[in-house]
Amino acid sequence: MQKPIYYKIKKFMLMYSTHILLIIISLSCILPLLWMFSSSLKTQATVFSDMSLFPQNPHWENFYIAWTKGGFGRYFFNSLLYTIVVVSGIVFITSLAAYGISRLKIPGKNVIFYVFLAAMMIPIPGAFVALYVLLNKLGFLNPNTGFPLLDNVIMRLGYILPLINSGLSLGIYMLKTFFDKMPGDLEDSARIDGCSVFGIYWHIALPMAKPAIAVIIIFNTLNVWNEYLLAMLVLTGKSLMPLTRALMVFRGTHITEYPLLMSGMTITVIPIIIIYLMLQKHIIAGITAGAVKG
Amino acid sequence: MIKFLFLIVVLALTSVTGCAPGDGFDKSSSDKIVAWHWMTDREDAFTELAEKYKALTGTDVQFELYAPTDAYSEKIKGAAQTKTLPDIFGILADKRIISSFIKAGHVLNLSPYMDMDDGQWEKTFYAKALNVNRFLQGNEFEVSPGIYAVPLDVMNIQMIYNKDLFKKAGLDPENPPKNWAEFLDAGNKLHAAGIQGMVSGWGEIWMIDCLASNYAYNIMGEQKFVDTIKGEASYADQDWIEVFTVFKDMRDNNLLANGIVTMVNKHAEQMFANQRAALAFNGSWCVNVYNGMNPDLNYGVMLPPVYSDKYPMKIWGGAGASLMVSARSKNIDKTIKFLKWLTAKDQQAYLANKTCNLPSNKESLGEIPQALEQFVDDMDSVTHPSNLNVSEFPKVIEARDKGIQSIIIGEKTPEEVALEVQAVKIRELKKQKARK
Repeated sequence: MQKPIYYKIKKFMLMYSTHILLIIISLSCILPLLWMFSSSLKTQATVFSDMSLFPQNPHWENFYIAWTKGGFGRYFFNSLLYTIVVVSGIVFITSLAAYGISRLKIPGKNVIFYVFLAAMMIPIPGAFVALYVLLNKLGFLNPNTGFPLLDNVIMRLGYILPLINSGLSLGIYMLKTFFDKMPGDLEDSARIDGCSVFGIYWHIALPMAKPAIAVIIIFNTLNVWNEYLLAMLVLTGKSLMPLTRALMVFRGTHITEYPLLMSGMTITVIPIIIIYLMLQKHIIAGITAGAVKG
Repeated sequence: MIKFLFLIVVLALTSVTGCAPGDGFDKSSSDKIVAWHWMTDREDAFTELAEKYKALTGTDVQFELYAPTDAYSEKIKGAAQTKTLPDIFGILADKRIISSFIKAGHVLNLSPYMDMDDGQWEKTFYAKALNVNRFLQGNEFEVSPGIYAVPLDVMNIQMIYNKDLFKKAGLDPENPPKNWAEFLDAGNKLHAAGIQGMVSGWGEIWMIDCLASNYAYNIMGEQKFVDTIKGEASYADQDWIEVFTVFKDMRDNNLLANGIVTMVNKHAEQMFANQRAALAFNGSWCVNVYNGMNPDLNYGVMLPPVYSDKYPMKIWGGAGASLMVSARSKNIDKTIKFLKWLTAKDQQAYLANKTCNLPSNKESLGEIPQALEQFVDDMDSVTHPSNLNVSEFPKVIEARDKGIQSIIIGEKTPEEVALEVQAVKIRELKKQKARK
């Protein structure tokens, strides 16, 4: 007679402790965002003294000031451009490379794969000076073709190409793991139906890899959207800089304008939240289906 | 899927090519002066001054901001290696690294320009600020003697006190402590009134070193301080024990706020601005900081109270930000002309008022805010380790500063620390001898 009660209590306790743990983890994730939003509504003086989560006199004008003072318009466009081009490039190249390494008979493909894996260990900041020298030698830093528009494109490419390169290793690793699990029968059936190698990749492998691609998109969107150091190293002049440059306006040498910085960060984070919400279903599927399986 | 890919390709191509030309691609143009800097708080002021200069002379000056400072330094290193440094730039490093840039031919010696017209340009600056950028004959870095950078502003580090809290503790806010006994008495009175003593960024060790050096100058004078660095005087000497005792006295008389040993300066600034501490040991940049955090803060500036009457109190200070000219610039004459204009009286006063930094031009003093004047008054008491022709071993500095931290937390006595530092010094001197 006691057993069902024991199991009921055990189940109840387990459920509650799990929920409490999850609530704590969720709060630890959400609280910094709330704090950022809350600080964006305060003044420079009250940001250090008013500890409330929602200030009594919210300063909504901080968002307008941050947008205009930081020159967000131009930077927003630049970030959007870099994110679209870089993420598209990464998805296109990594899916082709991962499919080739996983499904095709290419001599030395494992060596190539491990070289890509090794590249994951080298962070871009560690190679800044070498990268600067290389890009300069390739003519990406100070192009002088006589055509301003072409110079502009070349300089932007000098930023885009290293960013694409930095996203390849993880993308190839994730997609190869995904393609490895693809049943061979599917390929055989497609081949019998007259499908070419590219056709199999395009019509069979790529649609199946949607969850993994969603994970790659969100990871790299985050990376590119938040990137600043490489942009500062490679790009010359404000007009080509990404959104993160706008935030630097509020970070002085000795003093930081926290309310404006937080307003700027809130503006910056909105597109990322939208993308995450749009891809949320695929990301969870991608992770649970083993897209990030080691 | 094809539509999706097509859309991506079209977006990529149109967006890469479809932008209006920016202001960055004509860096190599010889008509324009390009300046790289890291001073985020001065960007607007620089832009306004550049516009004004263009209206006056027709010369384009393009200020390009790259921050934070560590990333800026990487960019400078890369540009130096590829010989693509702009006309004007700054190097955020110690003299040893600056000397390597000079020896590699990247930095122009400005002495001939300073000497022109009977040294008129040089005379406008505080000599101590200029000395930070000066390499003397026979310097240990083997750099040709000369001045290699122009100070854009000056700074010094002093004690700042909250006048309202002083009043609350029964102290005279218009007469801050001047000697050691008065200082210790103030600490006890503040404690009795339930007010915390001094805050400072002593978690960032260099600020401890700064105050220790101040008192070393006051207790033993510059010559003995230099002799200790040279290895000709001992850290175990009574004068050094007294320097370390300064910190023990401060601890024992409640002059130090809780947690000062691990405090970063940003936190210390917050505490002082929010009136949670009565004293701060901070640089002149704090005028800007406190003004932003609490514009109503009522504070005064004082020299650290003297411990001894034997020698005058000296404080750290000198050039704040300095600008250099690329030796490979195609616009050297234009660039020098612009720097002379930028450091002239009116522009310096404008920068001081707009950015709350102390001007490097002595002639601008009459036109700066009162809060800054309190710091400028004491520029005569300024010194800096980089002005000495010798430098202490980093390991000795570390032992000295960590030893002081140990004294503050009550782990060690001044005598123990003095012996330990001397032991490190002897070890380093032996290593140096072996290397030679």
